[in-house]
Amino acid sequence: MPSSHDWINKPLGVVEAMFAQSNSNPEWEAKVLEYFKGQLREKESHSWVPSLNDVPLHYLKPNSLVKFRCLVQDMFDPEFYMGVYETVDPSTKANVLRCGKYKDVTECGVDLNSRNTVTAERQTFYCVPIPGESPWAKESYGCSSQARVVPSTSYVPSRQKRSYEEDDDDMDTQPQKQREPHTEPHGNGDSKRQETEAPSSQTTAPSDCSSHLDLNFPLPGERGPACLVKVYEGLDSFKLNDTLEIYGILSVNPVLTVLGEEKDPSLLLLNPTESMETPEEQRAHDPPASLVPRLHMLYARPLQHNNPLLPSAPTEDQSAFVSSFLVEMASVRAELLAYLTHVLLGDGLAAEYLLLHLISNVYTRRDVLPLGKFTLNLSGCPLNSYTERLYQIVQQLVPCSYRLSMSLHTMNSMRLVPKKDYVANRLVSGALQLARNTSLFLDETQLEQGQLDSSGVRNITALGNLISWQKVDYDFSYHQMEFPCNINVLVTSEGRSLLPSDCQVPLQPQVTPPNMEEYLTTIHMAQFTSQINKFRVYLSLARTLDYSISDEVTKAVEDDFVDMRKDDPQSVTAEDLHRMLVVARLLSLSLGQTTLSRDGWMRAKHIDMLRRSRTEQQKSLNGNEP
Amino acid sequence: MLWCERTEQVKANKHLPTQENAGQMVKDELAEKCQKLFQAFLEEYQTADGEVKYVRDAEELIRPERNTLLVSFTDLEGFNQELATTIQEEFYRVYPFLCRAVRNFARDHGNVPVNKEFYLAIQDLPTRHKIRELSSLRIGSLVRISAQVVRTHPVHPELVSGTFLCLDCQGVCPDVPQQFKYAPPTVCRNPVCSNRARFHLDTHRSKFIDFQKVRIQETQAELPRGSIPRSLEVILRAEAVETAQAGDRCDITGSLIVVPDVSQLSTAGVRAETSSRVGGRQGYENEGLRGLKALGVRELSYRLAFLACHVAPTNPRFGGKELRDEDQTAESIKSQMSVQEWEKVFEMSQDKNLYHNLGTSLFPTIHGNDEVKRGILLMLFGGVPKTTMEGTSLRGDVNVCIVGDPSTAKSQFLKHVEEFSPRAVYTSGKASSAAGLTAAVVRDEESHEFVIEAGALMLADNGVCCIDEFDKMETRDQVAIHEAMEQQTISITKAGVKATLNARTSILAAANPVGGRYDRSKSLKQNVNLSAPIMSRFDLFFILVDDCNEVTDYAIARRIVDLHSRIENSVDRLYSLDEIRRYLLFARQFKPKISGESEEFIVEQYKRLRQRDGSGGVATSAWRITVRQLESMIRLSEGMARMHCCDEVQPKHVKEAFRLLNKSIIRVETPDINLDQDQNQEMEAEEEGENGHDVPNGVNDQDNGQVNGHTHGVTGQTNGVNGHADSSSRPSLRLTFPEYRRISNLLVLHLRRAEEAEEEEELKKSAVINWYLKEMESEIDSEEELINRKSLIEKVLHRLVHYDHILIELSQGGLKGSETETQEEVLVVNPNYTLED
Repeated sequence: MPSSHDWINKPLGVVEAMFAQSNSNPEWEAKVLEYFKGQLREKESHSWVPSLNDVPLHYLKPNSLVKFRCLVQDMFDPEFYMGVYETVDPSTKANVLRCGKYKDVTECGVDLNSRNTVTAERQTFYCVPIPGESPWAKESYGCSSQARVVPSTSYVPSRQKRSYEEDDDDMDTQPQKQREPHTEPHGNGDSKRQETEAPSSQTTAPSDCSSHLDLNFPLPGERGPACLVKVYEGLDSFKLNDTLEIYGILSVNPVLTVLGEEKDPSLLLLNPTESMETPEEQRAHDPPASLVPRLHMLYARPLQHNNPLLPSAPTEDQSAFVSSFLVEMASVRAELLAYLTHVLLGDGLAAEYLLLHLISNVYTRRDVLPLGKFTLNLSGCPLNSYTERLYQIVQQLVPCSYRLSMSLHTMNSMRLVPKKDYVANRLVSGALQLARNTSLFLDETQLEQGQLDSSGVRNITALGNLISWQKVDYDFSYHQMEFPCNINVLVTSEGRSLLPSDCQVPLQPQVTPPNMEEYLTTIHMAQFTSQINKFRVYLSLARTLDYSISDEVTKAVEDDFVDMRKDDPQSVTAEDLHRMLVVARLLSLSLGQTTLSRDGWMRAKHIDMLRRSRTEQQKSLNGNEP
Repeated sequence: MLWCERTEQVKANKHLPTQENAGQMVKDELAEKCQKLFQAFLEEYQTADGEVKYVRDAEELIRPERNTLLVSFTDLEGFNQELATTIQEEFYRVYPFLCRAVRNFARDHGNVPVNKEFYLAIQDLPTRHKIRELSSLRIGSLVRISAQVVRTHPVHPELVSGTFLCLDCQGVCPDVPQQFKYAPPTVCRNPVCSNRARFHLDTHRSKFIDFQKVRIQETQAELPRGSIPRSLEVILRAEAVETAQAGDRCDITGSLIVVPDVSQLSTAGVRAETSSRVGGRQGYENEGLRGLKALGVRELSYRLAFLACHVAPTNPRFGGKELRDEDQTAESIKSQMSVQEWEKVFEMSQDKNLYHNLGTSLFPTIHGNDEVKRGILLMLFGGVPKTTMEGTSLRGDVNVCIVGDPSTAKSQFLKHVEEFSPRAVYTSGKASSAAGLTAAVVRDEESHEFVIEAGALMLADNGVCCIDEFDKMETRDQVAIHEAMEQQTISITKAGVKATLNARTSILAAANPVGGRYDRSKSLKQNVNLSAPIMSRFDLFFILVDDCNEVTDYAIARRIVDLHSRIENSVDRLYSLDEIRRYLLFARQFKPKISGESEEFIVEQYKRLRQRDGSGGVATSAWRITVRQLESMIRLSEGMARMHCCDEVQPKHVKEAFRLLNKSIIRVETPDINLDQDQNQEMEAEEEGENGHDVPNGVNDQDNGQVNGHTHGVTGQTNGVNGHADSSSRPSLRLTFPEYRRISNLLVLHLRRAEEAEEEEELKKSAVINWYLKEMESEIDSEEELINRKSLIEKVLHRLVHYDHILIELSQGGLKGSETETQEEVLVVNPNYTLED
């Protein structure tokens, strides 16, 4: 390995060298950050850094630089540490100043009475991989990584690269999901390989660790490393549920575990009769490093989107990429629309609305009002696993998604809203703790008649609040605390959904394939990966575009509204205007237009009319639908 | 340089126990000086009337359960500023010495056991900190923090001073001081005995102190958005234990200390188990690591804890002291504000247009609906709670209900208030049963004990409870909150638990009309699915009607399009929410009294309302005016006075309160009188409206006849605007109802007078018209208007005669003959008609 990569392999060496040069001039800290930022700014350099998301923990070298794509799930209380301390060499009695930053444990022979000790503050964030990340996104991130990883154990798998991907595949296949037939043979190979590895690996055997250590993932069935991230700078700039790409120094020092385990009172000067932490807290805050590694943050980049196919940073690259893509926007849209129409059994209008829904995004909040949200209720969905297949198709298109089957049992038993556990002093996650722009697929076709208990009512209320206000009230026992979110909610139901929605589209299938499974699989298979990738880029990109309405169009819209009201005041309400403006916005953006044109407005009005007349029609049928 | 000092301090704290163990060999001169000065303070400090203030308190300490002397920091400051500063800055260091001073003081003033330990608690520290502001800078100094207690641990004894028995020579080592940890003497005191390890604690001769750990957490109001509240462990000792319960908000005085974030032996078992399950291989790795540790490898992190000497709950929940609004005065609020903040508050109080500006700043995204905004504003300011001489308490909280068509921003009003108000709870009537709203007795899963689970109303104590879809609540549940609304308490008798809980909250409710849309031909009562007793408990009822009107439509369209078109400051507020919050907090400290003048005015207005209510005649106003409305009027007037930071309710405040009350409940507007249509249809509709009031007035009078029965076609505030727009466009044809009534009264009065004077001529119709026009002369500018007025008065007369039957037309030839002669009719007032207002 070339020495130029020392900053990746031995970042602590770099830090210590800078500290040694500084002569306790506090500016060295900024220099360190600047250095790593500079290194990462170099072309492609960030892809050399191994990622905790793709590489099993035991392949990573302790104290090396790693990156982690994650969601801030919880923030612990700040702690103090010795930023600078002095050690005494027992043989020479020479005092040496040492740097305690980015470390968990000290070197030997600390002089606790030294006057040079500096106490500093840091905070720990509990981070989990981004919940509901689609398999294709994971895979694609994994492929783009150029990190050369040498496992820290003696075992060197011959097909190293390949096996990671398989690992990923394996992880993402949720238990309730049917295993795709083609993964079967690989699965066998996998298990063999795992057998040989098992003793050295902790992360690949999560089944036994979950029994005594809850890693607190928001979604059930998730896997991947959770991480305790030690944050040193800019504490206030991070918020709960932020999605970040963190570059930091990995610390899996097993000493941590032992230190936490047994304290020899004679070694510690101060040992309170009562520990300040209960065993539950201890377990939540100091899990074994082998299960939950520590990451000392050097640099964190907020993720605007989680799509590996798009350039990540807002650089010149990106604007070039955007402008080149804008050209083909309209054609990609047409293809995607055709694809979705097929998927929705030939219903073009529903496909149009689904497309708009997929690019919707809460772009701002005016006081309590979230603007830009577009919850779609697709009613009249055929039963028998259609919705399941539909979800799989959505999952193929968006980077993050989750399907919540709204059966009575799940509604009554599942924890949707995060709750503060005061015993362990941590935030117990719930399924609604999701990253921004996650697609939440609520499957109401699974609902049956029966009794909702109190937690069921709470869950339904939480879903309703999420849809109406785009916020989740986290349960802090003595009070609730609102956390704003930005989640695309798609509700599929037989009749009109019991949840509120911004817009309801009754599905009108034009074709009735005899075998639904086969039909959808064929459609899905017919798409080339390159085509699907285009769709993925399209959906992520359309949502990031800026948008405005000119004064002239504003006037026209106002006039139009008043005119409509004149004819029949009951027909159009303020709420309708709200919705139509959102539709107009999304429609324009979906075509790559960043301003609203008169045509755009008329088109929006038109499709809304179509949709409404369809809803009316459905009403008069009075539930006699297929 | 600063950090250097800081570390010293940290270290000093860490080493304190060791120093003490060494038997205070190091003399702390500063601390001893403090002890002397403090003792002098206790001996000498006198209250205004010359009494030595703390002597009585010290005498109290004789009682066996007492051991803590509570001293006010303000007294200390008044006595010796320097001493106060030293204590504040070096609290942790001097604390044991101060306690010694207390002990000496107590011994001097009472016969206390020689070895009884005494402690000091300090209250009234002027500045208050947030948990987030506590940094290592404040370690060791005296601070006061406010926070919510989230978890309490059981109380147990802590050894403060141990007497040890040497197991080798049976010698006694008395009074070995202990701090935080069990520390046997390092070596036996017997010079010939070299025992260093084998000691036995003689519990009978050792001293213990009560010890409790609690965890506190940042309150919601202090929290930056999107962050997780921080928490802090607090150590309570002596008399401070058990003063706080989970859920309480407390002011805690004490000092910040550093503890290594270490677990203790007792938890080691659990940990060991964990690791053995994690993997067998780690077992022998541990051996090697232990070796590392022996060399001095250690963890780098520490945590903060708070050693409290005094705890004052700021919201006692079960009875106890009345600490409404944290027992603060305008002065104390002012002292907590920064200069800029105070200037802003002052500026706001001087704002001539404050009423309007506050309303628009609070609800910037809601168009129009000014009256509702004002109503909610007065609700936030609230009236003054009172207790009568008999001890009945009268609520000061104002309850508001908004009824309206879908999509008329009802929920937005509620959401805004929830967002704004620090203690507001938002709940939906549909989702919450009475238990969720009031309080419930539930069995704790772990301890199997019954506990009271706070409901929304309790949670909003001293705040606002926003209930959406109020009408969807089951009647049973509506009854349950009935008590809360009037008595402001919730009683529970269930599973052997009997409790009366405070729920002093204003209620802001939103309800949908019965048929989805508000039906103007029906009464409010018929439109809303609420029981009469509940309805009567709302001070203000607002009705929002989705009305079709070009002006409002345009305004609505403008607002919505603005919202969407990314014009950055489409939410323009004159005052920021924080500024309003501060102003509100300040203004709420005022307890305005009603001036004599206002009192008369209120009485007068109330009489007017009652009279109008009592009399029959044209379309009586709908609500039965009762004492409740009088109370409402007083509350609203007080709120108005508070808003202007007045200590006295002035007539202008009453006037606005009256106007608002009038707008909302009483005058649920009657439709405009359309004078142009003589058609019978119109009349029928009108008739229908009038009939309406007969029915609901008699609605189930369960509530001692205090039902506010309610009638008549109703228009909301949105409609009020239209009314004006309409009447201005066609002034001659339409009249608003009050205008019509005004003219009618004028005419009736005139005719009565004329009748009495028996001036036959004056009673002629033309004469009446001429008289009227003359009366109006000043208002008429042009000829055209004169003609308009003339046709108007003619129509009014026509209507009065033919539809309302207030006047009777007498023709010369007898009672309404079939004459076609040009003989002029004479008008007389219907003898059965009683004049009102």
